[in-house]
Amino acid sequence: MESHIQTLMEVLQQTKGYIYPNEVELHWGLLVVVYPYVTGLVAGAFILASLERVFNVREVQPTYRLSLLTALAFLLVAPLPLLAHLGHPERSFEIFLTPNLNSAMAMFGFVYAWYLAVVLLLEIWFDYRKDAVIWSRHETGFRRLVHRVFTLGANDLSEHAVRFDRSAGKFITVIGIPSAFLLHGYVGFIFGSVKANPWWSSVLIPVVFLFSAMVSGIALILILYMLTSLFRRMEIDMRCADKLGSFLFYALIIDFSLEMLDFIHRLYEAEESIGILSQMISSRLFISLVVLQILLGTVVPLVLLGIFSPAFHTRAFVHAPAELRRLIYFCAAILIEVGIFSTRWNVVIGGQIFSKSLRGLTVYKVELLGLEGLLTSVFLLILPFVILYVLVKFLPPWPEAEAAAPSEPNS
Amino acid sequence: MRQQVSRLTVLFVILIGALVAARIFLVPETFGELGHFRAAAIGDIADLQVKYAGRAACAECHTDVEETRLAGRHASVSCEACHGPAADHAEDPMARQPEKPVGRALCTLCHGYDPSRPTGFPQIDPAIHNPLQPCTACHQPHAPEPPVTPEGCSGCHGQIARTKAVSHHALLPCTTCHTVEEEHKLNPSASRPTKPAARSFCGRCHAPDATPPPDIIQQVPRVDLATHGGHYVCWQCHYPHFPELR
Ligand code: HEC
Ligand code: HEC
Ligand code: HEC
Ligand code: HEC
Ligand code: HEC
Ligand code: HEC
Ligand code: HEC
Ligand code: HEC
Repeated sequence: MESHIQTLMEVLQQTKGYIYPNEVELHWGLLVVVYPYVTGLVAGAFILASLERVFNVREVQPTYRLSLLTALAFLLVAPLPLLAHLGHPERSFEIFLTPNLNSAMAMFGFVYAWYLAVVLLLEIWFDYRKDAVIWSRHETGFRRLVHRVFTLGANDLSEHAVRFDRSAGKFITVIGIPSAFLLHGYVGFIFGSVKANPWWSSVLIPVVFLFSAMVSGIALILILYMLTSLFRRMEIDMRCADKLGSFLFYALIIDFSLEMLDFIHRLYEAEESIGILSQMISSRLFISLVVLQILLGTVVPLVLLGIFSPAFHTRAFVHAPAELRRLIYFCAAILIEVGIFSTRWNVVIGGQIFSKSLRGLTVYKVELLGLEGLLTSVFLLILPFVILYVLVKFLPPWPEAEAAAPSEPNS
Repeated sequence: MRQQVSRLTVLFVILIGALVAARIFLVPETFGELGHFRAAAIGDIADLQVKYAGRAACAECHTDVEETRLAGRHASVSCEACHGPAADHAEDPMARQPEKPVGRALCTLCHGYDPSRPTGFPQIDPAIHNPLQPCTACHQPHAPEPPVTPEGCSGCHGQIARTKAVSHHALLPCTTCHTVEEEHKLNPSASRPTKPAARSFCGRCHAPDATPPPDIIQQVPRVDLATHGGHYVCWQCHYPHFPELR
C-alpha cells in the first residue's frame, strides 16, 4: 500500500491539466503493446509466404518456408503477452468452453485457434510432409521420432499424393490470406471499436493495422533471411532481396498513406478531442510518434528503398552494388521494425495517456521487473526466435535440405 | 480417401471430440442460468468474509470520536477510510487494534495538490507544507481545524467561498447576490437567504446599458439579455460562484 501510494504520488507529479482519478495509472501497459506487434508479424510473414504460393512470385521462393516457420513461431508467442497481462493463464481455455459471441475479445480464442490449427499448421504440414517422410527414413533416434509423429503416418510418396499435398497447400493459402487479414484486422478492430476513445475509435484502424502488419512481417523476413544466410555462409539471392525490398516499399507507401489519411481526416474533422490529441502528440508522444514512427520508421526507409530498390523499374534509381544494397535493405528493415513497434506503442499507450475529460495528460512509467515489466516484454520478444531456432532444426526451410529428397524434385 | 485426408480427419475428430468432452465435463453446472456467468458465483461471493464494518458500527463504541468527527470538517470521511478495514476489530475489539495512520502519506492522498480535485477543496503541497512533521502534530484528524477561523459565510460554506475566491466573481461579496438575515448564521434552516431568481438579476451588471455598483472597478463583460442564452436562467450555463466561459 505504502509503496503503491509512493508511485502514485510520483506519477501525479507529472500529470498535466485535469485528469480523472482512474486515469492516473494506465491499465494496458507494455505487454499490450507487444501483443499487436507480435500478431502483426505473424500476419505479415504469412502474407509474404502466400505471395509465392498464390500469386506465383518466384523471386521470393527462398523465403517461403522461412516465412511459414516464422509465422508459426510468433503465433505461438502471440497470446502469451495477453496471458501474462490478464493473469491466471490456467483459466484461459475457458473462453473456448463458454464462447461469448458478444465480446470481440472473447472471440479472439477462436480466431487464433482457426488460424493456428486450420491455416498455419496444416499448410506447414502439407508443405513438409514429403520431406519429413524422406528424412525420417534415414534418420535415427529423436529426430526420426519427431518426423514420424509429424507425418501422422501418412507416408505415401506417390506422385499423386505429392501433387495432392501441393494443391491442398495452395487451397489452404487461399483460405489463409483472408484469415491472416482477419487475425490482424481483428486486433485493430478491438481498438477501433472503443467508441469512447477518440484516439482509437476509427474505422481506419483495422486497415492501418493490417498494412503495418504486412510492413513489419516483410521486414522481419528480410532481416531473418539475410541473417540466416550470413550464418550459414550462403550467398544471398539478390533477386529475392530486391523483390522483398520493393514489396516493403509498396506496403510502406500504402501504410503511410492510410495513416496520413487518418491523420488529416482527424485534423479536418477537428472534433472536440483534437486539442488534447495534438497536445499529446507534441509533448508525450513526440519522440515515439514524430521521430520514431514517422521520421525514422517510415520516411527514412521510404527514401532509402525508393532510391535503392528496384521498386519502380526493373532497375533502381541509383544502382548500388549488391554489397551496399544488402546493407541498405538491412538498415531499412531494422528501422521499420522499430517504427512499427512505436506505432503499436503510440496506439496502445497514446490511447490512455490523455484524459477522457479532454483536459489533461498523464504519464506511463515502464516498470523493469514484474509480470508486466520491461524484462517480461523483452523475454516475450526473444522467445519467438528461440522457438524459430528449434523449428528450423527439425524442419529446415533451406532449399538444399529439400534437395536431399531421392524422389523427383518436382519444382 | 487419400491417406493425408484420413489421417487429418482422425486428428481433427479427436481435437473436436476433446473440445466437446471438455464442454460437457468442465463447464460449471450453473453456467448461463442467469447470464454469461456461473450463477452459483453469486452465492460464493456473498459468502466472502466482510472486511469493513461501516461507520455506524464504530460509533457504537467510539461515541466520542464519532461526535467529534461529525462536528468537524471530516464529517464526510468515514472511519475506515483512514483506519483501514476493521470488521474484525468491531467484532472483537481486543483481537486486533486498527492502525493509526500518523504519518503524512494518508492525508496527502486526499489533500496533496492535484489539479483534478474540485476547485475549492483544501489542498496543500506536501513538499512545502510544514515538511517532516506528521500532519497530526498540528491538525486533529477527527476534526481538522480550518487554517484560520473563518468569518462570515465561509465558516459554513467553505467550498463555495474558496471556489469563488479564484473566480471572476472573486470581488463580489456573497451579499451582492444573496440577502441574508442574521438569523441564518445562528439557525441556518430557519432563515433561508434569497437566491437570484431571474435573468434580469445578472443583467444588473451584465446588460449592455447596466450601471454596475460603483465599487466594481473592473470592466464588466456585457451580453445582450434578449438574445444571449435563450430563455434559460443564466446559471444553467454559468456556475455563479465560478463563471467560466464554456
Ligand atoms: C465493540 C466496541 C468497539 C467497536 C464496535 C469498535 N471499537 Fe475500536 N476499540 C474498542 C476498544 C475497547 C479499543 C481499545 C481501546 C484501548 O486499548 O484503549 C479500541 C481501539 C481502537 C483503535 C486504536 C486506539 C489506539 O490507541 O491504538 C482504533 C483506531 C479503533 N478502535 C478504531 C475503530 C474503528 C475504525 C471501528 C469501526 C470499524 C471500531 N474501532 C469499532 C472498541 C470498539
Ligand atoms: C482523516 C482520517 C481519520 C478518520 C476519518 C478517522 N480517524 Fe481515527 N485517527 C486518525 C489518526 C491519524 C489517528 C492518530 C491520532 C494520533 O495518534 O495523534 C486516529 C486515532 C484514533 C483513535 C485512537 C484514540 C485517539 O483519539 O487518538 C481512535 C479510537 C480512532 N481514531 C477511532 C476513529 C473512529 C471511530 C472514527 C470514525 C468515527 C475515526 N477514527 C475516523 C485518523 C482518522
Ligand atoms: C478520504 C479523504 C481524506 C483523508 C484521508 C483526509 N482528509 Fe482532510 N478533508 C477531507 C474532506 C472531504 C474535507 C472537507 C473539505 C470541505 O469541507 O470542503 C477535509 C478537510 C480537512 C481540513 C480542513 C481544511 C479547511 O480549509 O477547512 C483539514 C485541515 C484536513 N482535512 C486535514 C487532514 C489531515 C491532517 C488528514 C490526515 C490525518 C486528512 N485531512 C485526511 C478528506 C480527507
Ligand atoms: C507545523 C504544523 C502543521 C503541520 C505539520 C501540518 N499543517 Fe496543515 N496547516 C497548518 C497551518 C498553520 C495551516 C493554515 C495556514 C496555511 O494554510 O498554511 C494549515 C492548513 C492546512 C490545510 C488547509 C489548506 C487550505 O487551503 O484550506 C490543509 C488541507 C492541511 N493543512 C493539511 C495538512 C496535511 C495533509 C499535513 C500533513 C502532510 C499538514 N497539514 C501538516 C499547520 C500544519
Ligand atoms: C452557521 C453556519 C452558516 C453560516 C455562517 C451561513 N450559512 Fe448559509 N447555510 C447554512 C446551512 C446549514 C444551509 C442549508 C440550510 C438547509 O438546507 O436547510 C445554508 C444555506 C444557504 C443558502 C441556500 C438557501 C437555499 O434555499 O438553498 C444560501 C444562499 C446561503 N446559505 C448563503 C449564506 C451567506 C451569503 C452567508 C454569509 C452571509 C451564509 N449563508 C452564512 C449555514 C450557514
Ligand atoms: C454573482 C452572484 C452570486 C454571488 C456573488 C454568490 N452567489 Fe451563491 N448563488 C448564486 C445563484 C444564482 C445561486 C443559485 C444557483 C442555482 O439555483 O443553481 C446561488 C446559490 C447558492 C447556494 C445554494 C447551493 C448551491 O451551491 O447552489 C449557496 C449555499 C450559496 N449560493 C452561497 C453563497 C456564498 C456563501 C457566497 C459568497 C462566498 C455566494 N453564494 C456568492 C449567486 C451568487
Ligand atoms: C455586481 C455586478 C455583477 C453581478 C450582479 C453579476 N456579475 Fe458576472 N461579472 C461581474 C464582473 C465585475 C465580472 C468581470 C470580472 C473580471 O473580468 O475579472 C463578471 C464576469 C462574469 C462572466 C465572465 C467570466 C469570464 O470568464 O470572463 C460571466 C459568465 C458572468 N460574470 C456571469 C454572471 C452571472 C450568471 C450572473 C448572475 C448570477 C452575474 N454574472 C452577476 C459582475 C457581476
Ligand atoms: C445556453 C447557455 C447560456 C445561458 C443561458 C447564458 N449564457 Fe452567457 N455565455 C454562454 C456561452 C457559451 C458564452 C461564451 C461564448 C460567447 O461569448 O458567446 C457566454 C458568455 C457570457 C459572458 C461573457 C461575454 C464576453 O464577451 O466575455 C457573459 C458576461 C455572460 N455570458 C453572461 C450571461 C448572463 C448575464 C446570462 C443570463 C442573462 C447568461 N450569460 C446566460 C452561454 C450561456
